[in-house]
Amino acid sequence: MMAKLHADHYADSMHQIDTPLKRNDQIGEGTFLIRVAAEPLARTLVPGQFVMIRLSGTNAPLIGRALAVYDVISDESGVPKWIDLVYLKKGTFTTALAESPLDTHVTLWGPLGNGFANRACDRLIMVAGGIGQTPMLLLGREALGTQNFGDEDRANGWSPVVEFIYGARRASLLAGVSDFEQAGFRVTLCTDDGSQGQQRLVPDILCERLEELKDSGESIRVVTCGPEIMMEKVAEACQATGVDCQVSMETPMACGIGICFSCVAQVRQDGPEEWDYKRTCVEGPIFDADQICW
Amino acid sequence: MDLSVTLGRLQLKNPIMVASGTFGYAREMEGIVDVSRLGAVLPKTITAEPRVGNAPWRTVETSAGLLNAIGLDNDGVDAFLEHHLPYLKEVGTSIVVSVAGRTEDDFVKLAERVGSQDGVAAVELNLSCPNVSGGIDFGTNAESCRKVVAATRDRTDVPILAKLTPNVTRIADIAQGAADGGADAVCLINTVLGIAIDWRRRKPMLGNGMGGLSGPAIKPIALRCVYQVATAVDIPIIGIGGIADIDDVMEFLVAGASAVQIGTANYYDPTVSTRLVDQLPAALGEIDSDSVSAFIGTLNR
Ligand SMILES: Cc1cc2nc3c(=O)[nH]c(=O)nc-3n(C[C@H](O)[C@H](O)[C@H](O)COP(=O)(O)OP(=O)(O)OC[C@H]3O[C@@H](n4cnc5c(N)ncnc54)[C@H](O)[C@@H]3O)c2cc1C
Ligand SMILES: Cc1cc2nc3c(=O)[nH]c(=O)nc-3n(C[C@H](O)[C@H](O)[C@H](O)COP(=O)(O)O)c2cc1C
Ligand code: FES
Repeated sequence: MMAKLHADHYADSMHQIDTPLKRNDQIGEGTFLIRVAAEPLARTLVPGQFVMIRLSGTNAPLIGRALAVYDVISDESGVPKWIDLVYLKKGTFTTALAESPLDTHVTLWGPLGNGFANRACDRLIMVAGGIGQTPMLLLGREALGTQNFGDEDRANGWSPVVEFIYGARRASLLAGVSDFEQAGFRVTLCTDDGSQGQQRLVPDILCERLEELKDSGESIRVVTCGPEIMMEKVAEACQATGVDCQVSMETPMACGIGICFSCVAQVRQDGPEEWDYKRTCVEGPIFDADQICW
Repeated sequence: MDLSVTLGRLQLKNPIMVASGTFGYAREMEGIVDVSRLGAVLPKTITAEPRVGNAPWRTVETSAGLLNAIGLDNDGVDAFLEHHLPYLKEVGTSIVVSVAGRTEDDFVKLAERVGSQDGVAAVELNLSCPNVSGGIDFGTNAESCRKVVAATRDRTDVPILAKLTPNVTRIADIAQGAADGGADAVCLINTVLGIAIDWRRRKPMLGNGMGGLSGPAIKPIALRCVYQVATAVDIPIIGIGGIADIDDVMEFLVAGASAVQIGTANYYDPTVSTRLVDQLPAALGEIDSDSVSAFIGTLNR
């Protein structure tokens, strides 16, 4: 029935830590950034990986939530020590977290999942919608070669140009824009109501860029994270133009480590009509866009 | 300190097991806990044929609990024997394989096939999965429970454990059926049938509609089942349901469970299982006991 039974990305270098919140700052409408000391994770993680997090010592809520790693902060001697996570206040966990004072303990485990590929290209275009900007900061920095992750021999500086197309419903929901600008990405913003940037949808902007670049001879890679409908449109645009595209799936997770089988997505198997449910936490969350049955 | 326990013909180095469906196929946990330190490992339930499982959403959180309808997503017994068992055999502790079928014959064939493999310490009959429609529910009728256990026992040499559902009027009756059929132990409990509804969309939250509730929310129900069966039936018990810390473990043991299985806690506290093994001697020390066996079922009634 299927070629491969074991997943590719078990949590083999996972650490579970209990650590106090060192920052919990609002950085946009309903959007917050937390910082925690998490050295063992910070040293090994790669862009696109995530952590599972919950409030320590309480069962409300019970189950951990997946959050992409937004930033890794090093101490003066350059040792990665802290990680930053950015979350949108939405339901049970994120509301409780937003109301948690500094030094509240959280339990987190990671790094988890596969992370983005670091295949070399002439231009990396990162496309994000809603809260989907969170995994992009580290990826863009690695692509430009301004920050290293994981093993020493992991490729770095694999794309000379990084573009970032980022949209939200309105201006106040665009969070972390200055981080992306400072990182040296070419930032294009858009909002549904035109309150900042262009009043267009991110997939439309991407289509236009791909059209403009069509005869440039450049090798282009696209990565995307955000609402599934947006990612599907981005994937379609890339497929139509033959551009390499990776998506970060955000299916609901209960463990993040491959043991509950709740995070499944329909992933294409050998034949065109064939698919199987795959665990996105240990097979993803990053997939080549043409693997997903949208 | 003697942590070993005996359940019928099954001997374990300690009473901390992990529950089927909550520990993957153990390979997932290799980098997270030292699996060899557990009393036993139960991989996810296998069926004769591969099953894709239910459509998402497959889990939804409720107050101190988790509702799931995974639908026995598994690659089938052939794939299990070829790909998972070789790994499991090497993890360094007892492997109890959980099987499920629709008919008595399914159970017998699966148990026979799995039970004859090298490295399988026991077979657990999942007589209780609420997420698979069709077939007879062996876990709700004492006589069909007795029959399926007896039939599998006849055809296998390894110990047989019967995992029961709490979704019955009198759990002790069903456990008696399992005992009469010759089960080495009963495992109490599988999940409690429930539902979560999104009233705005006027739809159940789970893709499957109803699901099974697990986690701390069901602990008192599980403990009650252990208590009732320990009082009424002469058979070793494995306690399961909401166990998350060492106090929970001790409560199940004193109520009459000879071992426990850790389930949902593995999801939200991945290192919990071996931590409980570490904490067990100190807990026994607190009551001046130096043996798990001596503590089992010593509840003052
Ligand atoms: C790999 C990955 C990375 C992620 N990264 C980030 C990130 O960087 N930042 C971020 O903010 N979020 C991220 N998420 C999403 C995050 O994990 C949470 O889902 C999100 O924060 C909401 O959690 P909550 O407890 O606040 O909301 P919840 O209380 O869980 O609910 C959120 C919404 O979903 C609905 N819902 C919940 N459960 C179900 C269900 N079973 N069926 C139907 N509807 C349901 C609720 O009704 C509610 O409207 C990521 C998810 C994944 C898988
Ligand atoms: C997501 C999930 C999947 C499960 N899958 C199985 C399974 O395949 N076979 C089985 O016998 N029990 C399965 N169970 C039930 C558990 O083994 C256990 O009996 C139950 O969850 C109660 O224990 P807990 O509260 O500690 O989780 C599953 C439970 C959950 C939450
Ligand atoms: S979240 Fe549990 S298997 Fe992926």
